[in-house]
Amino acid sequence: MEIFPQLIVNSLISTALYALIALPFGLLYNTNKFFDLSFGGVAIVAGYSVFYFAGVAQMPVIVAVLIAMAVAIGVALACYRGIYLPLRKRKAKNLVLLIATLGVSIVIEAVLAMLFTSRFQDPSRYLGEVKTFSVLGGTFTALHAWLFVGVIVIALLLYWFLSRTKFGKAVKAVADDEEVARTIGIPTRKVILLVVAIAAAIGALAGIASGFDTGLLPTLGLRLLLKGIIAAIIGGSNTVFGPLAGAAILGFAENMGIAVIPGEWKDAIAFGLLILFLIFRPKGLFKG
Amino acid sequence: MDFAYLTHILILVSIFGMLALSLNMLVGFTGLLSLAHAAFFGVGAYTIAIMLGMYHGNFFLALLLASVFAVVISTAIGLVFSRFRDDYYALATLGFNVILASFLLNAESITRGPLGIPGIPRPELFGISFGSNSSFLVLAFIFFLATYFCMKYIARTSFGRVLKAVREDEEALKVFGYRTHSYKLVIFSISAVIATVAGGLFASYISYVDPSTFTVNDSIFMLSMVIVGGLGSVRGSVLGAIILVIIPELLRFVGFSPDMAAQMRALFYGAVLVLLMMYRPQGLIGEYKL
Repeated sequence: MEIFPQLIVNSLISTALYALIALPFGLLYNTNKFFDLSFGGVAIVAGYSVFYFAGVAQMPVIVAVLIAMAVAIGVALACYRGIYLPLRKRKAKNLVLLIATLGVSIVIEAVLAMLFTSRFQDPSRYLGEVKTFSVLGGTFTALHAWLFVGVIVIALLLYWFLSRTKFGKAVKAVADDEEVARTIGIPTRKVILLVVAIAAAIGALAGIASGFDTGLLPTLGLRLLLKGIIAAIIGGSNTVFGPLAGAAILGFAENMGIAVIPGEWKDAIAFGLLILFLIFRPKGLFKG
Repeated sequence: MDFAYLTHILILVSIFGMLALSLNMLVGFTGLLSLAHAAFFGVGAYTIAIMLGMYHGNFFLALLLASVFAVVISTAIGLVFSRFRDDYYALATLGFNVILASFLLNAESITRGPLGIPGIPRPELFGISFGSNSSFLVLAFIFFLATYFCMKYIARTSFGRVLKAVREDEEALKVFGYRTHSYKLVIFSISAVIATVAGGLFASYISYVDPSTFTVNDSIFMLSMVIVGGLGSVRGSVLGAIILVIIPELLRFVGFSPDMAAQMRALFYGAVLVLLMMYRPQGLIGEYKL
């Protein structure tokens, strides 16, 4: 098997990308207890921001990335403060929130399509020359290496943050029971806003990485997020480890599946996996 | 506005009205947020396209075949999905829609993939052709009326009342000995069959199908028709379909390019979904608040 090493490398790349969106989604879901389907939109806004600031405004890529993360955080906080917080205050049902986030996701998609057209855009040309490595017959780029290392660092930081700091304990308390957390004096609203901001920052990186890797489409946000949601559900979102494991299962299933059936069936594999897990392990592999 | 154009709009309203009504049976009556409606719409459209466009079969026989497909598929996935609730149900149905859209796009030997299937003829029955738009409108409108009264009827029967009870409190209903799973399964199948028939009409009217009309986004669009009109309201679904069919046409009149008009439509219904959820979760004339 000549393609085998390449399949492993591809699986690892997918794992890293899915983990980068599954981690913040899991954190959000665990804290807020509703599916935020607009989160993919937030991520892809960051991708387009890099395209705009690095391309049209001709800033250095690293500056563009930082600005893009700030933009994503801004969008996420605005949506939360303006739409989701009032709904949650009213104790709206999960379905109401789900539909609202779906609406936001459509609005973001439409606005991006109006600003940048619904055609394919490629921000990777602003990266300049990207080195390519070859290890044991599997080829990958410097971008992939950065992505992989970045995910590990972010996961470790997140783990440390959630388990070792006062803030992390507050997040856990809010995730367990928001009412009780508020009664014992935890500033729940501030904690949640901070979680939203952190999640948006990490999600932004996923949108940016995906833009650099395969290019940008307005519809890419929801597609990326769905992969993240599947990974978070497969692994379970109670821990940092769950979404990582879920991303790995999904990444390997999709890419190894290609060895057996054509690559266009990736999405079908992913959702087949989701439905299997919803039937047999709805709480995920690791219940945390 | 000339007569031919009005006919075109009314045909679209009839087809999308059927979709809104049938989806409302699920979302509004039973409280099941299905994001798989475009998938069944696609099953109908593609069955007609293949049977008529490729094999020159009869429209009504093909429609019957499509309905059989719809019952088989909806029963198979309904058996699994009926155990999910709320957001997990939404996610699972969304997953099914993605898988079906992926099938339409990739099973090129059956569906011709992204090329789509052109040249789908209009229906014919006992020598009567529905080739002209006005005669096709009559046919579409008959199907629409049948759906409308079917839904009105279901709402009045004890079956319909059980569905509403599932929506309000499934656990309590189970305690009283109702097999709620069977009720959910039946309404899922009815709704799927109507969506399939609507898909068949659509394919025959447009005379061309491709996978881009049956994606998750189209399911979301159908959901917004139901929500705009009002959950659980029969008239509401009709109103929702009328509003969401006419708005992009108005945008075209104002002079936006088709692509821009499509984005404006998306922007509009996305924003409407958000605003309704915030200020009027029961929709314009709905009876049931999510």
